[in-house]
Amino acid sequence: MISLNALEVDALAEIFNLSLGEASATFSEIVQEEIHLSVPSVEILSREELIGRLEAIPRNANNNKLCSIAQHFESDKGFETEALLLFPERGSLEIVRRMLGDNASMIEHLSELEQDALGEVGNIIINSCMSSLANLFTIRMNGTLPDVKTHSAREMFLAHDDSEVILVAQIGMTMRSYDITGYVLFIMDLNSMSGFMKQVRHYFRIEEGQSL
Amino acid sequence: MIPIGDAVDLGLILLDENGLVSFFNAWARRHARIKSNPAGKSLQEVMTGRIDPRLIMAIREALDFGFSARLSHALHPMPLPLFPNNKHGQECRIRQAVDVTPIRQGNGKRSCMIQIRDVSEVFRREQLLRQQALQLSQDIKQLTIAQEELRNSEIRFRELAKKAPAGLFETDQHGRLTYLNEKCAELLQISTPDALGSVWLDALPVGEMERVSQRWEAALQSSTRFADEFRSSAQDDRLNWLRAEAGPIWNEDRSLRGFIGTISDITEFRERADRYEFRANHDSLTGLANRERFELRLRAALSGANEIGQKAAVIYFDLDYFKAVNDTHGHAAGDTVLRTIANRARRVMRGDDLIARLGGDEFAILLPEPPDEHHMAGILNKLQQAISMSINIGSAHVNVGCSAGYAIFPDHGRTVGELLAHADTAMYREKTRKKQNPKQARA
Repeated sequence: MISLNALEVDALAEIFNLSLGEASATFSEIVQEEIHLSVPSVEILSREELIGRLEAIPRNANNNKLCSIAQHFESDKGFETEALLLFPERGSLEIVRRMLGDNASMIEHLSELEQDALGEVGNIIINSCMSSLANLFTIRMNGTLPDVKTHSAREMFLAHDDSEVILVAQIGMTMRSYDITGYVLFIMDLNSMSGFMKQVRHYFRIEEGQSL
Repeated sequence: MIPIGDAVDLGLILLDENGLVSFFNAWARRHARIKSNPAGKSLQEVMTGRIDPRLIMAIREALDFGFSARLSHALHPMPLPLFPNNKHGQECRIRQAVDVTPIRQGNGKRSCMIQIRDVSEVFRREQLLRQQALQLSQDIKQLTIAQEELRNSEIRFRELAKKAPAGLFETDQHGRLTYLNEKCAELLQISTPDALGSVWLDALPVGEMERVSQRWEAALQSSTRFADEFRSSAQDDRLNWLRAEAGPIWNEDRSLRGFIGTISDITEFRERADRYEFRANHDSLTGLANRERFELRLRAALSGANEIGQKAAVIYFDLDYFKAVNDTHGHAAGDTVLRTIANRARRVMRGDDLIARLGGDEFAILLPEPPDEHHMAGILNKLQQAISMSINIGSAHVNVGCSAGYAIFPDHGRTVGELLAHADTAMYREKTRKKQNPKQARA
């Protein structure tokens, strides 16, 4: 299990702060509504720890599903990651329907076109975030199309190995009166993680093993 | 690649690293309505209309940074000037969902693939679904309101029925109780849970039950209105009079559903009616029959006696010295005297005899089965003796007497008029005799 010292965690948080700030601005522009993203908190968790954390999110009693928007990124500097944006399904419905100005819909689940729209929202946020990272690290990355799914916390990680670590950046999205908490997750194996941290340290000019 | 690209049912456009068209599949050409070869031209040159700037940006990001982008229909309904296959659809673009994907080439450069899906049908279906969901939710809302109203009005009527001062009941088509309110249970003296399913008449006294049952059965058989009055077994040894009224209720298919009816306590009503009847036929002061009733009974007695060849007798009497009692002691004393005389006359006469006060101090007695004529004098004597005894009027004792005469059918007359005239004359004869011989009279 990889462990980060306080300096490295601070550095990571700062990186995400910069990149998600960009994402927030892009997103606001597209939906023409002011969206506040809270300062992200960053943690590294195992799969089981994360499942436990996600299952504890308070949600609608009739709907305990999560909606995920996933994109795979590959860099030319030795790391690849699955970037995920997560919302409770109820929250994702609210985001999409608010954006589309649909207050009347009574349907409890995402329709095909709504799922597409949510894919685009996630796509913008994730692309913006990754593009900032690529800029900061001066690296090149290739990203796939967003894959939108609705499933339980455990179903979401069935395809992932338990040895993988997950970099979790938690952000709150606030749209006018709605207060929806979303999560940005980066799933990496250990190799990718160390490749990624190398870039972070490089950016902040931290020596390996250096601590406060 | 090219034949496959032309075969798929979606738009495929490939742009090289400079953003120029390297492939434009048949689907895209058809919907973009381009005839010439688009290869080597920029997208803006090929297309005959405005392209959503967001798509241009997404293409740049794909080529420059390697990022994929999705342009959803919801946020970008028609980014490219693509039109339906029919010739008249020029002004209306098809509804699109566009994906932009970078493709890494061997030389380290990137090209970009644009995939376009026609989502018109999906859009139409989802609109329909949304409308249906909206309609459904409105229907449910209205139904909820209607149910709430129904529930309220049910509660209202149940409370009303519960507290109603009349007994209410409902039966099935066999006359078995399906509902009764508290008052009904109280009047019939049955308990609600036990009574349900039974016939409401079961609680009546035996004689009444048999009589009313016949009429109730007849109403059930003919599905017609039912009304009857009957006595109920009473709690406090007092017989109550009840009146039941019921009418058939029908199902929607006009078959008999049952009966709905009321039960009311008419004891007081009947008692009052009896009192009125008594008052109409009787003298209110003495409780004796009045003139109308006396003459009616006399006429009936005469026709009865005539038919079977029997006799009947009439006695006429009025009081002596009554005016003096009235003048000296007042009307209240006079009333006491009249009541006392009435009671004494009742005691002297037989039960079958009808005693009447005709008015003032004037009385008459009908004897439907009179004794022989020579016994009549004895009866008159007994009557006169009883009347002439002292009467206690509270402050004093007073004495009155009476003068009486009689007539016998058919000996003294055959009609009411003849008989009364004869008795009247006999009485006056007696009165005159007393006046001429006051001593004898006082004795």
